[in-house]
Amino acid sequence: MSRKVCIVGGATTPFDYGPTGFENIEGGAADCIRETREEIPEFSMRDLDLMIYSHFSVHFGHQLCSEWIVHDHLGLVGVPHYRVENGGNTGGSALYAAALAVMSGHHDVVGVVGWETMDSVSQSQGSEFIALASDIRYELLVGGIYPIYYAAMANKWMKDNNVSEEDVATIGAKNRNNAMDNPKAQWYRNEHKYITTEDVMNSRLISYPIKKYDCCLMSRGVAFTLVCSEEYAKKINPDGYVTIDGMGLSSCTIRAGDRLNFPGWTERYGKGYPEMTEFGACRNAADQAYKMAGIENPRKEIDFGEIHDAFSTSEAQIYKALYLADENNIAQFLRDESTHMHGEIPMNPGGGLMGYGHPVGATGLMSTIECFYQLSDLIPKKHLSKKTEVPDAKCGIVNSHAGTGTSISNFILRRC
Amino acid sequence: MSGETITRKKKKFTEEPNFTERKTYRPKDVKETGLAFIGHEISEDGKAMNQFLHYDQLYTIRHGQNSKFFIGLLDGKLWGTRCPKCGDTWVPVRTHCWNLDCNLEKTEWVEMPLTAKIHTWTIAGWSGRSSLKRLPIVLVYAVIGNSKVAIANELHGIDPWDVEFGMPLKIIFKPKEERHGIVTDFHFEPTDDWEPTPITEEKERIKQLVEPVYQWVKTLK
Ligand SMILES: [Zn+2]
Repeated sequence: MSRKVCIVGGATTPFDYGPTGFENIEGGAADCIRETREEIPEFSMRDLDLMIYSHFSVHFGHQLCSEWIVHDHLGLVGVPHYRVENGGNTGGSALYAAALAVMSGHHDVVGVVGWETMDSVSQSQGSEFIALASDIRYELLVGGIYPIYYAAMANKWMKDNNVSEEDVATIGAKNRNNAMDNPKAQWYRNEHKYITTEDVMNSRLISYPIKKYDCCLMSRGVAFTLVCSEEYAKKINPDGYVTIDGMGLSSCTIRAGDRLNFPGWTERYGKGYPEMTEFGACRNAADQAYKMAGIENPRKEIDFGEIHDAFSTSEAQIYKALYLADENNIAQFLRDESTHMHGEIPMNPGGGLMGYGHPVGATGLMSTIECFYQLSDLIPKKHLSKKTEVPDAKCGIVNSHAGTGTSISNFILRRC
Repeated sequence: MSGETITRKKKKFTEEPNFTERKTYRPKDVKETGLAFIGHEISEDGKAMNQFLHYDQLYTIRHGQNSKFFIGLLDGKLWGTRCPKCGDTWVPVRTHCWNLDCNLEKTEWVEMPLTAKIHTWTIAGWSGRSSLKRLPIVLVYAVIGNSKVAIANELHGIDPWDVEFGMPLKIIFKPKEERHGIVTDFHFEPTDDWEPTPITEEKERIKQLVEPVYQWVKTLK
């Protein structure tokens, strides 16, 4: 059997958009590692035996192999390195690669650095760069921006599951309000206000049924996560390490319209899989992660999650893909505020993509780091209060998501 | 070593397409300038600097085996592909069958009917820069003929709030001289016998959401 994989630390820069004075990625990476060392001072840069870099689009930096600049800056010359790119699931995929490296026994201490600098071009150009991850021959010309594809998927999903616009709007408000307790969050640093479901409902139309406050943010930010063997974790952070007990990675089509009836999937998962309404890759990746972690009843056994809320609608779709609810009770699950801080399974206490921000290559790592903080009792230190701490959390889920649900990874993290 | 002399020729030793028809629709302001730093800014306290890098580049998208589909658009035809083994048909096309049991069987071209049915839809109130003036835009995923997959395109000739799941569509091509061999050479319209259903609560909500979009578009230059 393969080795246990652990997370012993991590940190992000503040996520933001526009000038703050500390935009360069290599400086940000170094600052993240310095912050990580505050909790684990025994960790030395000399311990790193592999670096994995998590970065989505070179269009934003206009620098190919920018990871080489970061690597040199960190003084890691001679340490093996490579970059992982997998759309919005770049962070999750980099974590997956780091875990495989440790599991195999070939590496012991793996650093993962992720970033995106989406404010290096105009907002509209940035949207177009992201949309270049759709099939440019067929979809870029007719949609032009991702929210349109997501809106088309969500519209049918909401009808099929009796979920209303208000039901999903609660998520847009929840994540932003959670972010108000997190000083690194872009929403906290910029708009900085508590909002209501009504504010989401009244925000401008992006693509029906998605409105402005149903959408995540474009961001700049850097994140660092330290992944290692249990032997190293016991040495460096004996009381605060977290184990990756389960993980799964799966795929679905790049063009959402191609997944109406992919041979074999409906037999396995029933009506709607993959279809255009359900995230088949998320369900498949959850099956893998739950099996590996021995989870039979996710809603009971998982205490909270940090998941990929690119849109409030997709967060709701993800709940269902993760088996937290089904078509009979998903609407009630939302109306009960089950995923709010006071609910049975809080989702995105860190603010998520809508509150914390979405610098693509750093996003999955940000979710992982927030999950790690919850499981190692660091929330009171990292957030402004205990309001966004999940009391006695033992088990969390991290979800990272790309394309129109094209690549999705799920991780089950547990307290040591 | 033989004494054979290899003369460098432009022509390749393999067969290559001879491109005889060429058209450009390139806007006047697209210049391939290459990389250039064209300006900078420095903060008042002298601590932060930004530099402006300019780059624009013409790309050639080589359609290769997919070419028939895009040439078809110029001719006002919609080509799909069909797997001779399992019989599945697709638009957008696949030149090899993706059914794993068909082992990447080469597909054959079939001309598709100019009719479709809506699978799902959305109404865009925001879009890429080039489409802003046309907002709101009804975008649908529709199944053309007996295709196994849906294709995304715009629906014209309808009030946005009247679009519905499963509605029948016809495919309309732009006038020949305006076609570029790209998917926006065609759009969907409701079939002639289609009638909108009476106003509902959801239709009222959509009206309320798109009204500011119409107003905003009027302010665009
Ligand atoms: Zn076939």
